[in-house]
Amino acid sequence: MNRRSFLKTSAGVGTLATLKLNAKSSEIFKGSNEKGVASVCEMCSTRCPIEAKVVDGKCVFIQGNSKFSSNKTSVCARGGAGVNQLYDDQRLVKPLIRDGKRGSGKWKEASWDEALDFCAKKLNEIKDKYGPQAVVFTSKSGESHTQLVNLACAYGSSNIYSHWSCCPITEKIAVPHTFGSSPKRDFANAKYIVNFGHNLFEGIVISDTKKLAKFANDKSTKLLVLEPRFSGVAAKADEWLPIRPGTDLAFLMALIHVWLRDGKYDKKFVEKYTVGLEELKMAVKDSTPKWQESHTGISADTVERVADEIYKASPKVIIDWGHKTTTTRAEYQRTRAICIANALMGNFEKEGGIYFGKNSKTFNTLCGEELFPVLANPNSVFKVPKTPRIDGCGEDGHRHKFIPRKHGVLMDIVPAILSQKPYPVKGWVSTRFNYLINVAGEVDAIKAIKELDFVLAIDIYESDFAHFADVILPVATYLERDEGIQDKSGTAPGFYMRNKVVEPVGGTMGGYELFRELARRLNIDKDYSWNTVAEYRMQQAKGNAELIASLEKDGYVGWKVPKVYYREPKFISKFVEKYPNASQFVDENGNMSSLMKFKTPSGKIELFCAQVEEALPGEGCLHTKDMDCYDGYDLCLMSGKTPIHTNGHTQNIKVLNDMMSEAPIWIHPNTAKKQGLKDGQRVLVRNKFGEGRAKIMFTEGIREDALFVYHGFGHISSGLKRTNGVGFNQSKILNPADGPVCGTMVTNVGVELVKI
Amino acid sequence: MKKFAMIHDENLCIGCQACSVACRNEHGVADDRYRLQVRADLKGKFPKLKLNYERHSCVMCDDAPCVEVCPTHASFKTAEGITLVDPTTCVGCKYCILACPYDARFVDPKSGNIEKCTFCFETRGGEIPACVSVCPTDALIFGDLNDPNSDVVKYASTHSLELPKEHLKTKPNLGFVRNYKGGNHE
Repeated sequence: MNRRSFLKTSAGVGTLATLKLNAKSSEIFKGSNEKGVASVCEMCSTRCPIEAKVVDGKCVFIQGNSKFSSNKTSVCARGGAGVNQLYDDQRLVKPLIRDGKRGSGKWKEASWDEALDFCAKKLNEIKDKYGPQAVVFTSKSGESHTQLVNLACAYGSSNIYSHWSCCPITEKIAVPHTFGSSPKRDFANAKYIVNFGHNLFEGIVISDTKKLAKFANDKSTKLLVLEPRFSGVAAKADEWLPIRPGTDLAFLMALIHVWLRDGKYDKKFVEKYTVGLEELKMAVKDSTPKWQESHTGISADTVERVADEIYKASPKVIIDWGHKTTTTRAEYQRTRAICIANALMGNFEKEGGIYFGKNSKTFNTLCGEELFPVLANPNSVFKVPKTPRIDGCGEDGHRHKFIPRKHGVLMDIVPAILSQKPYPVKGWVSTRFNYLINVAGEVDAIKAIKELDFVLAIDIYESDFAHFADVILPVATYLERDEGIQDKSGTAPGFYMRNKVVEPVGGTMGGYELFRELARRLNIDKDYSWNTVAEYRMQQAKGNAELIASLEKDGYVGWKVPKVYYREPKFISKFVEKYPNASQFVDENGNMSSLMKFKTPSGKIELFCAQVEEALPGEGCLHTKDMDCYDGYDLCLMSGKTPIHTNGHTQNIKVLNDMMSEAPIWIHPNTAKKQGLKDGQRVLVRNKFGEGRAKIMFTEGIREDALFVYHGFGHISSGLKRTNGVGFNQSKILNPADGPVCGTMVTNVGVELVKI
Repeated sequence: MKKFAMIHDENLCIGCQACSVACRNEHGVADDRYRLQVRADLKGKFPKLKLNYERHSCVMCDDAPCVEVCPTHASFKTAEGITLVDPTTCVGCKYCILACPYDARFVDPKSGNIEKCTFCFETRGGEIPACVSVCPTDALIFGDLNDPNSDVVKYASTHSLELPKEHLKTKPNLGFVRNYKGGNHE
């Protein structure tokens, strides 16, 4: 009897009926007790537009928001796990006040009133006794950072920090130093990409990841990856060069040497749009392909060949810079070298190269009328106080002159607390920034926290930092809160907005409300022009209720505008066809060269940075000092991202923990065997900065002189029950000395392994 | 009548496990069990290496050993080509688990039912499955083999597909574009 005839006659009928019923009732986002809410993810810092499926008031599934065509319905593992974080029985939902020694893990639950009043009292006590600068404020990136900045400014402290200095700070500083702003990369249309470990297949940014995956799978393009280990992106390369850790700069300077030596660069572009060619020529005079061999381990012939390949593919080439820019103390020069390499290839404002992001304001100028909404900034009233910071950021004459005062150098917080220099630091407010996992020097950090008068942690879990706090305020997850409107422009204007998917579990409070309420209780809220997120949004939209309504409904609003690159006449003519006003910007060559304004001091792309040279002599042009990341040891321990976890945030989320519960250290079998180490063995990882225990894992996918670990494990908080005590926290052995110009924390470090 | 099929393009797959998380949340899959896994397999010696990402799940055989061996006919094929298990007639003998050459089935520890990938048929009724909808790199392609304009037909006609354990003649409806990347170096 076949299956179908069986179904017609027996128990199968009921089965099929059941299945049909199920299928109908749960057709995604369509049932009567179901709804789809368009919002924005916050499982990492990328902020992908999402759509959450809600059944009977409960969020059950998350996918990408198809209105945002770069991502469609895609979401990564962490994004999908947002629902597991939301309903995790280990997350905090009640304010906690310490009920034992700091770090004892003993807490008593408090009402919001009691907890907020207690925080306000403590913070006012510090201000009265030591002044407002005695409290440091740290935050993860995004809108919580903006709101914490507002609170810190209102309180009067200039000691404000984001995660930048332990992650993207070099990109955030070196790229604008060269171009005046941060150009976008046209991964979708490039023909040749040189990748220095910008690991989009493990540090996922869906819109870019999707494009790079397609690029890598295209047989007519070339992806060249330089990376000491066989990473996710190296595995997809057309050519992988396992470069020695920390020496990208030597390879880049040799590339530049070859291009300048042979005149293989876009001379017209360089002449018209750049300054500093002569200084650059001097800087790379001796950095020959032969010279770089001993640094990188890559043959001179390969450099010559690659230089030629890139030049032939230009301008549809991208020499790609990474996000986590922390490989050596020479990181500023490395990122500058990448920017300079792009400039020499003349790929700026070319299809398949790099280009200015264009927002609604730019398009309104091009179109000659106010076609697209421009947002107001309700935060502009809050200014970082002019009082000197503990790390000297933004001060003339200080080595941290170029570091933004809303971001700071995190590694300087702990020494300031321990030494009470340049002045006493007595309090610390942190929102979802886990200093103990992310910043060099875990041991000293704990010592410093214990010396403070007051520590406030705002978090979802009892993170390691929160574990040592006096008060933990449980913040709503992103699925439980409304937030402001954000710009999402690239080649066309667009906005996105986070919408509340479900009511907060256990009455937790979102960042906007929480900081607003804290400001009120501290009696420092006179500059706040809004009381609720709804009012905040309306101010941003300048009363454009239609825009807000669309964003509430769709989560993302974008406009279809023909793509325009300022140096691509065929795109420009199409644009002008639709928006004739733009013809006034077109020059005799069909380009929009008058719009090629670089916001650098010279108004051009700076191959040599005079302002940097003046403030920090020797740093204005490329040099190869500070490349070493071995520090006399035989092995360099590197770290990076996994697609399953976000920094130190997600290790306790069950579904992600089940998939990746530990991160052993990668080691080549030959390296291990030399020391008599076995696969899976526990070892002591040690250097002059500290030590920690870790498990090793044999793999062929790494150089013999390098080790690698996925960042984010080694938690010590007893509140993180699933991950506490598992894995290695790299911050124990990192060098707290920062890199020049940018204050970069360096996550490559020399170590030795000791048998235990 | 529709005939559902899926393709996993290993060259687009980055092993990020978005599909696994989506699947677990869509179906409440029990701990230590899986309907779907993508396994990373590193081959070769440094620096001649290859990293393959391989999907493991039910392959929706047309001639399904699990259906053949089921004594109560609880395992069956729908007209759309999806292999399902009727929990009301399943007696939990696990013959199907042993018979499956793809190791795709398991006993749910809570309900005692036999579970496996169903292309989300019971929750989505033939719409795009959860894993396909979330895939960050569009490495999964799903659709109706009887519709010449479907994504899956278009993909199958422009790519060289490998069917898992084809020699067993189970006629799977999950096909793979095998990884050709890797092994290159200076």
